[in-house]
Amino acid sequence: MDMKKWIKALPIVALLFMTVVAQAEEKPKVIRIGGGGNSLKIPAASGASGWVNDQGLLEKEFAKDGIKIERTYYTAMGPGQNEAIASGLIDFGSAGDLVTVVGRAGGLPYKIISTSGAGGSNIYIQVNPASGIKSLKDLKGKRIGYQKGTYLHLAFNRVLEAVGLTEKDIRGVNLVNADAQAALATNSVDAIVSSSDRPLVDQGVATLLFDTRKYPQFKSGPGSIFVTEAFANKYPEITKRVLKTLLKGYYWASKPENQEAIIQSSVKLGGTYKHIKADLIGALPPKERYDPTVTPKVLKDYQEIIDFAFKRGIIRRHYNVSELFDLRFQAPVLKELGYDKYWVH
Amino acid sequence: MSKRKLTILVLGALLIGNANLRAAETAETEPRQQPVSDSTAVPFGSEDLSEKDTSEAGGNVSQAELDGVRAEIATLRDQLTQRLDKTIANSKRSLSISGSTQTRYSVSTSPNKNGFLFNSAILSLKGYLKRDYEEGKSISYTLGLGSNTSYNLQPTDAYLQYSIGQSLDIDKPYLNVNIGQQKKNFGLEATTTEDKQPAINLAQFASKLGLSARDIGIRFYGDLFPVVDLGYNYRIPLIEYSLGLYNGSGPNTADTNQDKDIEGRIVINAPAGYYSPYRGLALGGSFYRGKQDLYKGTTLITKGEGEAKKIRYGTDLSYVSAPFGFTAEYVIGKDEKALSGLTLANAVRATTESKGYTVTLFYEWGEQFYKNSRNQSRNDDWWPTTFQPFLRYDHWDPDTAVASNESNITTLGFNVFFAETTKFQLNYSISDDKAVNLKQNTFAAQFQFGF
Repeated sequence: MDMKKWIKALPIVALLFMTVVAQAEEKPKVIRIGGGGNSLKIPAASGASGWVNDQGLLEKEFAKDGIKIERTYYTAMGPGQNEAIASGLIDFGSAGDLVTVVGRAGGLPYKIISTSGAGGSNIYIQVNPASGIKSLKDLKGKRIGYQKGTYLHLAFNRVLEAVGLTEKDIRGVNLVNADAQAALATNSVDAIVSSSDRPLVDQGVATLLFDTRKYPQFKSGPGSIFVTEAFANKYPEITKRVLKTLLKGYYWASKPENQEAIIQSSVKLGGTYKHIKADLIGALPPKERYDPTVTPKVLKDYQEIIDFAFKRGIIRRHYNVSELFDLRFQAPVLKELGYDKYWVH
Repeated sequence: MSKRKLTILVLGALLIGNANLRAAETAETEPRQQPVSDSTAVPFGSEDLSEKDTSEAGGNVSQAELDGVRAEIATLRDQLTQRLDKTIANSKRSLSISGSTQTRYSVSTSPNKNGFLFNSAILSLKGYLKRDYEEGKSISYTLGLGSNTSYNLQPTDAYLQYSIGQSLDIDKPYLNVNIGQQKKNFGLEATTTEDKQPAINLAQFASKLGLSARDIGIRFYGDLFPVVDLGYNYRIPLIEYSLGLYNGSGPNTADTNQDKDIEGRIVINAPAGYYSPYRGLALGGSFYRGKQDLYKGTTLITKGEGEAKKIRYGTDLSYVSAPFGFTAEYVIGKDEKALSGLTLANAVRATTESKGYTVTLFYEWGEQFYKNSRNQSRNDDWWPTTFQPFLRYDHWDPDTAVASNESNITTLGFNVFFAETTKFQLNYSISDDKAVNLKQNTFAAQFQFGF
């Protein structure tokens, strides 16, 4: 080819080169991951996420790209991560069902790319023995302490609805866990709704009226792993790689031989061994409990949460569940890891 | 070969074979010695111990081990109790101690002067006298001691607070009452807490009209129509209100007249959720009516105690939505004075109207003002470093009936928040006081720290 032809071809070659370069995905300098904190203020996670962090899997995955991993643990749990998303401080996070639904209803620009396990969380209703509460229907007119806006709030509403009651039939008192325990101990409330931690029951000060271990239909829905829309759209390959690394944690957590390690990781962050272990009574087998797949049932559960939250006035905007999920990443990741043959639906 | 030679050969072979056999047995039983120059040997102290399992645990816990753990817990409990009794201060009710100090260096022109200044020191004690978990109708106390540039230590805040209405349900309105010596609740400038004040000095009208001073009295305050966003634990009421009744004589002073000063404030907040662009938008209005002593110049009129009217009106607009913030406030003051006469009966009165306004713009880099960012699980004493540049214009006219007597101050500033209760402030102010024909540039650096 003579020189003239080369010169003529040069603009086309340059254009092709620029197109290829433009299509190569940019990379962020840092991936910022949010999570829930704990009462001991230890900057660590438990369970599947904890194992991924302890093994440094994300750091190893992105070391070759020169991308730093930054983790922040918000003591305010889901609401703390919502504030961080709204302020552009994190790219990924993990939170409960209701808080994610509420955040999206308010316009928060994130999407769920995976669940954090199909197991959900139990709720426990502890009562003051002098309150006269002997059945769930006896909760009517009583002072009940629980933290609004959390999975406790939503799951408790479902329990009330099942016995023909609503929040208007009880005197709800918005209390965080520590205050709720103190309120029950001082007879300031008749009952509280809590997670598995129940020192007052252990001490004989309160009695356990009801819990969802035998009634899984009232448990909270599966938690979520979410990413901001901006990050997922700008860095889809990075998003996929992050998810792929996180799902390795769920695979590890789904193995029966790793359950004791999971319990110990929770104890190190302030949990009580006895209660955590008892919380697993009647629970799904580990393989199902840590199944992160977004199945049609998960989508149906989340739509029910949206409907319920709107009906109860917890959110002011009703929306379709498809607005909450981004399913581009999980299926190919599960296939790459071979987990589509492990978690079969 | 002769038989004799053959026999010797066979016996010799047997002897040699036996010796070899014994040598082989000995070699198997003796330990193999490492050659001195083995390159795989690791010097003592250099071996990697990180992979070794040094735990002693294993197997089931015996009764003896459990008893040992119980004994250790009992010992720890006794040690802790002894330490608490001997070395830890305690109080009869809940107590939280806090305080802050401001140390400043300033340089100004016309006249040239510079120096270090201990601006203020405040010690504050707060706590609950009664904690109500049922409805949050708790009683709390606040007691403060403070010293300013006069270096006199005096009580600042000294009041009880009671939640008349419930305060636990964020969906419902709140109503509280404060009784005692407290800050008045007029406008923005005079009521903003130190950590949220961008500039070192308050706007001129705040001090000139006595809005930032404390007084002794009773104040009711609350809100209506709260908007709640559970996704962020965020609550903003549509309306906030406050109504106070004070002696009007200032702090640490008994009432000097029979009248009481009345103050009121109402704020309308944008009823927006956390993620709305309108979050942080607020419009407020304040008024203050009271009495003060009647003066002719600097001379107190005979029987003029508490006979002069004192009125203030103000309106303010703010938009604070991190990282951007904007505040504007406009205040009018009306103070009665005597133009002539020396007694109340013959005093000729007139009202002096004053006017002041201030506008502030600021921007933040950092997470200082994000509630949940300040509350993270961290091993170290981490705090989000935040930078806040700002620009403020401050205008004060002491008498609108007199021309060319106003004072204007333009301040350019830069604040750094780098620890939980600490900030460093740099202010450069250009002031023009037409009343005394003084133009002055001042550079001030202030270190404010608290605990």
